[in-house]
Amino acid sequence: MSDLSFDAVVIGGGHNGLVAAGTLARAGKSVCVIEQSDHLGGMASSVDLGDGVVGPLMAHLVFNMDDKIAKELGLRDSLQSDPLPSISLAPDGWHVVMEGRVARFANGRPHPDANAYRDLHDRLLRYAALLSQLADRSPPQFSGGLSDLSTLRELAAMAKLGIDMKRLGKADLREFLRVILSNAYDLVLDEMSDGPLAGAICADAVRGNFVGPRSPGTVFTLMYRMGAGGVPRLPKGGMGQLSQALGRAAEAAGAKIITGTGVSDIEVKDDVITGVTLSDGRQIATRAVLSSTGPMCTAQLAGVENFDVEAVRRLRNMRAKGTVAKLNLVLRDVPRIDGLDDRLMAGRLLVAPSAEAVEQSFNPAKYGEIGPRPVLEAVIPTLSEPDQSGAHVMSITIQHVPHTPDGGWDMVGRERVIASAVDQLEMHMPDLGSQITQAHLLTPADIEAATGAPGGHWHHAEMGIDQILNLRPINGAGRYAFAVPGLYLCGAGAHPGGDVTGRPGRNSAKQLLQDGVI
Amino acid sequence: MPRDTQAVTVPLGAIATPFHPRLEALSTAKQWSNWAGFISPAVLDTVEFEYFAIRNQSTLYDISPMKKYSITGPDAERMLNRMVTRDVRKLRDGRVGYVMWCDEEGMVIDDGTLFRQSGQAFRLCCQEPMYSWLLDCGWGFDVEIRDDSDAVAALALQGPTSFSLLSDAGFEIADLKPFDWREVEPGLWISRTGFTGDLGYELWVDRAVALPLWDRLWQAGQHWGIRAVGYDAVNICRIEAGFLAARVDFQAVHATERLHRGRTPLELGFEKLVHFDKGHFNGRRALLKQRDKGLRTHLCKIDIDGFKPADGALIYHRKRREVGHVTSGVWSPTAKRNIGLAELKAPYGKSITKDLWVEIYVFEEGVWDKRIVPLTLTDRPFYQPARARLTPPAAF
Ligand SMILES: Cc1cc2nc3c(=O)[nH]c(=O)nc-3n(C[C@H](O)[C@H](O)[C@H](O)COP(=O)(O)OP(=O)(O)OC[C@H]3O[C@@H](n4cnc5c(N)ncnc54)[C@H](O)[C@@H]3O)c2cc1C
Repeated sequence: MSDLSFDAVVIGGGHNGLVAAGTLARAGKSVCVIEQSDHLGGMASSVDLGDGVVGPLMAHLVFNMDDKIAKELGLRDSLQSDPLPSISLAPDGWHVVMEGRVARFANGRPHPDANAYRDLHDRLLRYAALLSQLADRSPPQFSGGLSDLSTLRELAAMAKLGIDMKRLGKADLREFLRVILSNAYDLVLDEMSDGPLAGAICADAVRGNFVGPRSPGTVFTLMYRMGAGGVPRLPKGGMGQLSQALGRAAEAAGAKIITGTGVSDIEVKDDVITGVTLSDGRQIATRAVLSSTGPMCTAQLAGVENFDVEAVRRLRNMRAKGTVAKLNLVLRDVPRIDGLDDRLMAGRLLVAPSAEAVEQSFNPAKYGEIGPRPVLEAVIPTLSEPDQSGAHVMSITIQHVPHTPDGGWDMVGRERVIASAVDQLEMHMPDLGSQITQAHLLTPADIEAATGAPGGHWHHAEMGIDQILNLRPINGAGRYAFAVPGLYLCGAGAHPGGDVTGRPGRNSAKQLLQDGVI
Repeated sequence: MPRDTQAVTVPLGAIATPFHPRLEALSTAKQWSNWAGFISPAVLDTVEFEYFAIRNQSTLYDISPMKKYSITGPDAERMLNRMVTRDVRKLRDGRVGYVMWCDEEGMVIDDGTLFRQSGQAFRLCCQEPMYSWLLDCGWGFDVEIRDDSDAVAALALQGPTSFSLLSDAGFEIADLKPFDWREVEPGLWISRTGFTGDLGYELWVDRAVALPLWDRLWQAGQHWGIRAVGYDAVNICRIEAGFLAARVDFQAVHATERLHRGRTPLELGFEKLVHFDKGHFNGRRALLKQRDKGLRTHLCKIDIDGFKPADGALIYHRKRREVGHVTSGVWSPTAKRNIGLAELKAPYGKSITKDLWVEIYVFEEGVWDKRIVPLTLTDRPFYQPARARLTPPAAF
């Protein structure tokens, strides 16, 4: 006997799970979210760092959320905050500031590559807008034949994409097709000389993925992050508030949220979903399950025997090497950087002194080693919204940290990762070390343990050319429906991918409704 | 460990099976073929003698080149049930089942025989190399998969006197029903199975004791007209019995390079072996879709006028429209009919079964001639003697 019964159950109360639940609830479906941890948000959460100091658990900035979606999800308020400038820190003190299409030196002097930057930025933004049309819905498939309503709908969308691509003009279109599969390193250095500006673009191109700027497909990932403009913001009240707001919106629409117990089993009978079992033993009857945890974990919850052998093989080979560590530093006081005013200090600080340096940052990770000079993205949210404790938090993502170094993680390894970040930042803020009262590090292995994300990967599955659109996360599961009738993927591993976007969750719920499962 | 520095000679070309020394000595025709890399007789003496020996006496055919896999462990039944289309849960211990397995699109990868040894132990026998596929199928299951192809030698003993022969050789197998199998002596398994449609057995033994087994059967077989046979004779029998040969009557999908050359079990006429009600199995969703949308082709048993075998011939509807081709065609000496298997494009072969014609080319003393002869479809095997099913089999 089941303890509860819903039209749909959502596995995972990360932001995508909450968005999926909200979307279904607003469509009048009864839905229940099951989150294994005791808090909502998954990678997009806040964390108590001790003594009441609150910081972003993992994700810290929102840059990839469409206005339209934010509004639909009731996040307008949360994203009312000012856009942050990005500052690429330069060893020689000539820090580069990027705001929208403008690049300049922090000292007010014009940057010699400002025009090249503006042109590249505008071009990428145009292309990104095209790609983003594909991100708003299930990827095209056209298998239904021309008499099929859903095929016609897809065709209409593709026709619009086609028209928009035509509008690009011949030269632009040729350029779009040329760069889409190429690498960021060549793209950037074709236009400008190497240095902190080129480094910053390359760092954005690789962030979250197991690649260097010379890896193919990194122009695509760069465009991906610009799909909604790419302007970074700190959500009001922190990342946790954003997820809380999504949770409240889902509940207001009628969704039920259960935390502190995970889904331990997805029940399948005669090739249809019949329910889920929770780790506390409770059973929930349902005909649809939307899962935001990793694709392979989802398959295992449902039992791999319910999947075709080829699908399981693809899942086994799905690439998901987590490569970003998270470091939260609690600081007594704000460190200073020469030449940066308060507004810039509160911005997005990048350590990526050159495209070459970003490539170098990747090299050790390839061999499972901890590198001395990884690419960093840091922000001090307490400068934009002071913490009640009066302390400051510096939230840092460290790119190119191996999931598990050779020989496993130990204190020495963890200290080396922390030092690799602090040492590089201290070049610019010499008083940093003396301000640190606490350092909280999450390695990719820790992130995997905490969220279940495959490999602790930012996107749950590498955003490679072989794992996007119809092929995301694997060939044959590109449209959210995941083999067993009634089972859907709705997390970052599904199309279009990770970041705080809400898109996989929203698209998946819409596809489920369209498929008429419930 | 010190490396063995002695050079090892690797034989080039086809490899001898464990029974090869006996076959070599018996072969007067010296017509060898290559069966999966092994030297295998096409004909040892003459096809006619060998064919009539299968139908009237006892014959030994070396099936050692068959691939043999052992699948054991607590999840063996579940794993195989997910792999093959029929319900393995219904296969009892000591039973053998004919099985097919498909890729995710429902296309047949291969067919074979599944032997259940016990609750947790199976052997799968088939034509195509399947080890890596089995490993893929076994992922996530508590099973051990072993390739026994080289370790196990196998003989098919087929023909109406085969039961008497085995009894004389000292085996107590009177109670073995069709598709039973049992370990009759330590390390020697006998199954009542075969590829000829007649009474017959298959014997499975460690390759090290292959030759003594052969000699024991040969000796006991002297009263029973025992002969060794090659593939050509066996092939006539298997067509008479209506059995399919992979790569002949259908293309094993993993061995194809072109798109859409694979066939589904439904298209091959095996819907009875596709148990849609057992839960998921590989290709099930694709097969359900095909069942609803319609099949592309039908594989049929055919009977052709005249006596010229029609292997490979094209088939026409109303003598005009090309609708298929003969996949296996042979003159059946026992049925005295010109028979075969044919693939017809749907709906021919199912809803349209009349007015079908085969175009046959005949070459006579330097002159090619074309004949168009009528074809009829039949659903029963051309050869199905009652003795094949009797238990205990009648002594001769
Ligand atoms: C260190 C780091 C920094 C990042 N920084 C940014 C950033 O600044 N900006 C940005 O846009 N993106 C960032 N990202 C990426 C972004 O956070 C993720 O792509 C996104 O949050 C994924 O959301 P999700 O809901 O799909 O999955 P998740 O957030 O991973 O949520 C999945 C949820 O499912 C739960 N779960 C798993 N298994 C079960 C189960 N069996 N039963 C019940 N619940 C289960 C987990 O506990 C988790 O809460 C970052 C990622 C990382 C790792």
